[in-house]
Parts: sequence; structure tokens; C-alpha cells
Amino acid sequence: MALYNFKKIMVVPTAKEFIDITLSKTQRKTPTVIHKHYQIHRIRHFYMRKVKFTQQNYHDRLTQILTDFPKLDDIHPFYADLMNVLYDKDHYKLALGQINIAKNLIDNVAKDYVRLMKYGDSLYRCKQLKRAALGRMCTILKRQKSSLEYLEQVRQHLSRLPTIDPNTRTLLLCGYPNVGKSSFINKVTRADVDVQPYAFTTKSLFVGHMDYRYLRWQVVDTPGILDHPLEDRNTIEMQAITALAHLRAAVLYVMDVSEQCGHTLQEQLELFNNIRPLFANKPLIIVANKCDVKKITELSEENQKIFADLSVEGIPVIETSTLTEEGVMQVKTEACDRLLAHRVDTKMKGKKVHDVLNRLHLAMPTKRDEKERPPFIPEGALTRRKAMEVDAPKRKLERDLEMELGDDYILDLQKYWDLMNDDEKQDKIPEVWEGHNIADYIDPDIMKKLQELEKEEELKERAGEYDSDDESEDEEMQEIRVLAKQIREKKQLMVVESKEKDVHGPRMPRTATKVERKTLEKEMGNLGLDMNDKDGSHYAQQARRSRSIAKKRKREASAPPTSKTRSQSASRPPRDQSVSFLLLLILSQMKGMNRQGKKGEADRHVFDLKPKHLLAGKRKSGTTDRR
Amino acid sequence: MPQNEHIELHRKRHGYRLDHHEKKRKKESREAHERSHKARKLIGLKAKLYHKQRHAEKIQMKKTIKMHEQRKTKQKNDDKTPEGAVPAYLLDREGQSRAKVLSNMIKQKRKEKAGKWEVPLPKVRAQGETEVLKVIRTGKRQKKAWKRMVTKVCFVGDGFTRKPPKYERFIRPMGLRFKKAHVTHPELKATFCLPILGVKKNPSSPLYTTLGVITKGTVIEVNVSELGLVTQGGKVVWGKYAQVTNNPENDGCINAVLLV
Repeated sequence: MALYNFKKIMVVPTAKEFIDITLSKTQRKTPTVIHKHYQIHRIRHFYMRKVKFTQQNYHDRLTQILTDFPKLDDIHPFYADLMNVLYDKDHYKLALGQINIAKNLIDNVAKDYVRLMKYGDSLYRCKQLKRAALGRMCTILKRQKSSLEYLEQVRQHLSRLPTIDPNTRTLLLCGYPNVGKSSFINKVTRADVDVQPYAFTTKSLFVGHMDYRYLRWQVVDTPGILDHPLEDRNTIEMQAITALAHLRAAVLYVMDVSEQCGHTLQEQLELFNNIRPLFANKPLIIVANKCDVKKITELSEENQKIFADLSVEGIPVIETSTLTEEGVMQVKTEACDRLLAHRVDTKMKGKKVHDVLNRLHLAMPTKRDEKERPPFIPEGALTRRKAMEVDAPKRKLERDLEMELGDDYILDLQKYWDLMNDDEKQDKIPEVWEGHNIADYIDPDIMKKLQELEKEEELKERAGEYDSDDESEDEEMQEIRVLAKQIREKKQLMVVESKEKDVHGPRMPRTATKVERKTLEKEMGNLGLDMNDKDGSHYAQQARRSRSIAKKRKREASAPPTSKTRSQSASRPPRDQSVSFLLLLILSQMKGMNRQGKKGEADRHVFDLKPKHLLAGKRKSGTTDRR
Repeated sequence: MPQNEHIELHRKRHGYRLDHHEKKRKKESREAHERSHKARKLIGLKAKLYHKQRHAEKIQMKKTIKMHEQRKTKQKNDDKTPEGAVPAYLLDREGQSRAKVLSNMIKQKRKEKAGKWEVPLPKVRAQGETEVLKVIRTGKRQKKAWKRMVTKVCFVGDGFTRKPPKYERFIRPMGLRFKKAHVTHPELKATFCLPILGVKKNPSSPLYTTLGVITKGTVIEVNVSELGLVTQGGKVVWGKYAQVTNNPENDGCINAVLLV
């Protein structure tokens, strides 16, 4: 059994769109280049591929439509019936059947033409066969235009149906139009159903959720039912009947006591008796709505008798008013309790219960003595419970205050503070005082703590903890201490002074000046290094190598230094004095090698022999002078 | 959760966005610019398809405009009464006399003897042997070339059995054997899918007629019992001739016109 999600059905395209999409997909996703002179098997394969690709796409999309739409036999009978009422089972099945037939026909067409293409001996013939095949498939789909349109409408409506769980706890509201069913559901749940003075405002089922006794309950609002036989009922009323017939719920039959809905109480009773058979095996409650306009006690004798008869039969009649909210909670609790009891009963009668019951065991502790140990309820809870029962007037809420004052209302939480001096409640509190953060010192016990600290300090002082150890030291030590302090101070002064002195003046770094060869040799010799091989040494070789450049550099050094401005063009040295041509060559080569990440001149490694951006893809619009 | 007509309900309660109407109006007015941009910038296959569609749209628009202007523009009306229609009291009461029937029969027989019929395609390109028959090489060294395979669509009868493969000279592959043809009635303008009874004449060569090769211009006999035609004498007509009007090997189907 496939799990259906009515909201996740894929969009059904129109016939024209469907054809356009599939054909353009074939054109884009299959190879497009073929020539007369290719081998015949290649030509055949090329066109066969196109035919099969188109067939595959059609097949896939049509199969998806067929699997997405629910089979009326696979879903819960409530939904099957609802869909029959809304969309007509026959039409629905026919439409899906047509799609299935179209799918099979397309498959057959592709099979035939692929078989024929095996005998194609020229490009022209294969091409014509492919054209005939694709054309045939598209014609088949063009004929499904009306089916596809119908299925798209069904899908849109289906995705907006409310998700009603047929197996969970449900309360069902029914009655004449305009009696107050939608107002009731608006009061009890968070559903926002439209409430209007004209009849048939609610045109389909609405569901809302509420909580009672830590359980989730569904409340289903139905469109109003009029009193005529089943065959004459229209689609809107049939939805209500379907809900009544299939959902195992507590039924709340809503009646309008004031007869403002336009139907007398007698008519409402008639309807009640007519649809009575649908209430079999369901807990039933009569909700006498609009009692703020007219109470039952104000009615005429015969009308009061109606309600009396109903309560005699055992059906609770509860007066409510959705406007003043009296009795609404009562109805809710009564209905929920009855439904729970009913459900528990049915479960107890069933077979599955014993599995669970066998595993449950309530252990009661055995009495060890005669002492009474009742449960402990604190006094505050008792008083509160009493207050709740009596429905005593609660203290005035901020909300009520807000309603009263309207625009003048300002939220003032400072009035709830518990201070020693009540006048100080509205005082402004500064944040900083004498350089201290007031927030750091806020503590309800701060005065107490301060006093304790002071007491401690006094004790400590008295005990002599803060007396210094001066007497234990002899005079020598004291003198030494004084001297040491003086020395330290003097030292610090000297350091600061020396730092201020500038002995050497501004200094060049050691590497800035050139070292003469003979000074280098003399110093190294003095240090003890063996200076015999002077010409073969590295510095000598370097000197010889860079003599030519050094000469040039000398000339540059003698030229007056030009001031360096921001724009290079003005301050570049003139051409004949610039860097040599050879150096330029070398430099440009280095630049190119650096950019390509080459290790050296001889590095000819190509990282990407077939770059994708040059070789992949079709030749679409644009120039083709690059490959 | 959003149920049933929540969008409409929201619109009813809260109205539209403050700029909704403005945005809508501007979007609609931009459509003309977008359409012209598309028409100018599209290239390739998409452009061809778009221009074709647009051309058809424009023709319709022009017609409606003209109709609105003149209110006298006549358009093709299929329900028009045919020319030469005569009111009932002027019709000849007499039916066809027997002499007329006899003379028609004699004329038919003379035509058949002469072998000329009035056919929709009087002249057809003759198909050479190299086109229709492909040489199949056989033998141990693939040197013998006496077998031929038919490359066009053909019809073989119901009780057809091949000759033993060693001796069969003409191979008619199963993939190219067709049993049904799409036959159009020229006056009714309706097309039916009728089973083929046989190949009467292939204009290219009598050899093809015996082989049953169907090419463009071939006259075939089809089973018209579906149509329920009845002769003057009350006999049911169940076989009629039709001429093939397309190249079946290129289209994968046989389209023919009934010879009335």
C-alpha cells in the first residue's frame, strides 16, 4: 500500500506544455550532429536514441502522474467517499485510465518505429521514421488534453483539503446552516473559519485542534445540512453526510434556540430525527446555541417539551452561547469525556486489550500499621482550587488595565517592587555614583553584609593581625633595607638617563655599506681563517661575474636621484639609462614562468590537456573561432 | 493549517497589498515590451517555433479586428448549403432507371479491360530494382549474390509460409510486413484503419506486384465491410480498391485513398 501525500502530488502539465517540454528536452539532451556519410549503424543508432529518449520521458512523467494520484481503493474509505463526492469517482477513474492507455500506446509506437528503423538504409529514411514516431507520440498526447486539465484541477483541490485523521479522537459539529457551528469551532480551537450572516458560509469541511486532558482532539466543522432526502442533496451537504458516516466521532448536534437561522425548532427536530441513523454508535450531545438571545425556559411549552424529551432519552442538552462563551467549556468537557469513555469501552471489548492488560500491574503498598497517611495538599493549592470552582473574581490583570486605559496605558513594572519605603518606588535610579557602578553593589543583603564585614575587621584588628613586624627586625636590617631601596631607585634613574643619551647617532645597518675585498680578507685573517685560496673563493667569483652589471650600477648611482612621485610615468629614468635589454628579456621570461608555475626553463608539463570549457558542450549561438 | 479557500479568505479579510494593483497594472503593461524583446532576440529552433505560433495568433487577431470593423466579413462556413442545391419540389421524382445501371456496368467493364482507372495519383516515380531489392551475399566465401531482400514495405497474405531458406530468392523481412492501411474516403473525408486484402498493382513493375511490395502509387484492395456499403442490388460491398499516397517505408504506416 503506497502512502499518499495529497500535498505532494506533482503538477500535471497541460497537453501543449507537456509536448513542448519533452520535445525540447529531446533536442537538448541527445546528440545533434549527424552526417550523411557516417556509417549506417551509427545513423540508425542516433535516430533510435532520439525515439527511445522521447518515449522514456513520456513514460516516466505519465507513470509519475499515475502513481502520485491516490487509488480510491487504497485510501481510507472516508477519503474515498469524500473524493467521490467532490470529483466523481467515475470521471476520476476514467481520466487516470486514459492516461494509462496513452502511456501504453506511446510505448507501442516507440517499439514499432525502432523496429522499422533497423531497416533504414539512408539518413533520410531514418530521419523520416524518427519524425513520424515523435509526431505520433505527440498526437497521442494531444488527445489527452481534457484528461490532463481535469487531473490538474483535481490536484489543486486535493492539496487544499484539510488533513483529517479518521482514527483519532474527533468531535463532529452538524446542524442547520447558520446555527453557530463555525463560531463554536472558532471558540474552542485555533481554526479561523469564516462566520457570516448568510447561509452556507462554510462550504466544505474544516478541522481544528484542541487539547483536553493532555490529549490532542480534532474538531471538524461541516457545512449546514438541509432537510431533504439523500438523493436531492448537493455536493456541499454530501460532504457533511460523508463525514458523519465515516468518522467515528462524538457528534454535537447544534440547534438554534432563538430560531435566528430561519428554521423553526420543529424543523430542526425533524432534521435531527431524519439523520438519527447516522448517529448510531456515536456519543451524542445536543448543543442549544444562541441562548444569550433566548433561553430554553423562555420558550413556549411545546418547544420546551422537545428538549425535555431529548434529555429523557439520555442525550444531554447543554445551553451555550458562542457570543458570551457560557456553556462552551461545559459542552467541550462533556463531549470529550463521553467520547473517551466510549473509546475505552470499545477497546475493552476488543481483543487487543488483553495483550496490554496482561502486562499492566498496579502495585499498592501493604499497610504496616494503622496510621493514616493521606495525600498531602498544601493550603495554597486548596484555596486556589476553591477559588477556581467558585469562579471568584481574579485580581485585576494588566490586560484589563490596558483595555481600560486604551491609548494612555504605560507598562509600569516598578509598582510591584517590594521596598521598605513605598514612596521610593517611582524614584529614578542613577547608574554611576562617585566612579562606582551601582549595579555592582545591588544586593538585598548588602547592609547586613557590610555590618558583618566591619565586625570581622574590628575583631581582626583587635587580635593584632594587621600589626606590622617592625620590632622583630634589628637596626642593621632596617638600615640595609633603607640602603637597598636607595640603590634600586638610583639604578632605575641611571637606566632612564642612559637611554636618553645618543652616543652613536643615527646608524646604518651593517648590510647597507659595501665591504671592500681587502678589509674582508684582513678581518677574516685576524680572526684566524685560512685565506690562502683568495681567487677561487666564492666572493671573488661573484665579483667577477657581476662586474659588468656593477659598472652599470655605478653609473646609475652617480646620477642625481629623482624624486619618486606617485605616477610612475613621470619619474622613470630616461631610456638610455634604463636596465639593459638582456636583463629585460630575462625578467620577462621569469614573469611568464612564474605565472604559469613553471619550475624552470625546461619545464614543459601541461596541467590540463583537455580543458573542459573548450571541448565540452554544443556549439550554440556565438562565434566559433576558438577551439 | 491553511484549509480550503484560505487565499480568498485572507483577501476578503485583509484586502490586497498596498501596491498590488499598481504592480499588476505595470506588469501587464510591460508584457508588450517583453514580447517584442523576445521576438527580436530569440534565435534558432525556438525562434522558428515562436514565430510560427505568433503568426497564427496575429492572423486570428486580424480577423477579429476586421470582423468588428465591418460586421460583414464572411468567413469560411462549413454549414453552407452546397451549390446547385434545389428545393424539394423541383427534384426529379424518378430514380435511376435500369438502363442507366446497365450502361454504367458496361462502361466499368470496358475500363477494366483497358486497364485504366481514374486514380488520384496517375503518375508515380518508378522505383528501380536497386532501390527496392537489396543484394544479400551468401555462400562460404560470401561470393554468391542471388538472394535479394525487399527494402520497402510489403504485404503477404494470411496463409503465407516462407520457402525453405536455402531456396528462397526474395526475402521479405517480418519487420516490414504490414496488414493494415489508413484509408481515406474522398467524399466523406474520414479515415479508417482497414485490413489489406491484397496488392492489386504496383506501377513500377509486375514483379513487385507478385511480391506484394507496397510503394507510393500502388493500388491495394482493402476490406471495407466496416463501412457498411451496399450495392444497388442489395449486396454488401466488402472489398474495394485504394491507392497508396505516401512512402510507407519513410512513415511507418500506409496511407491510402479509396477509389470510389
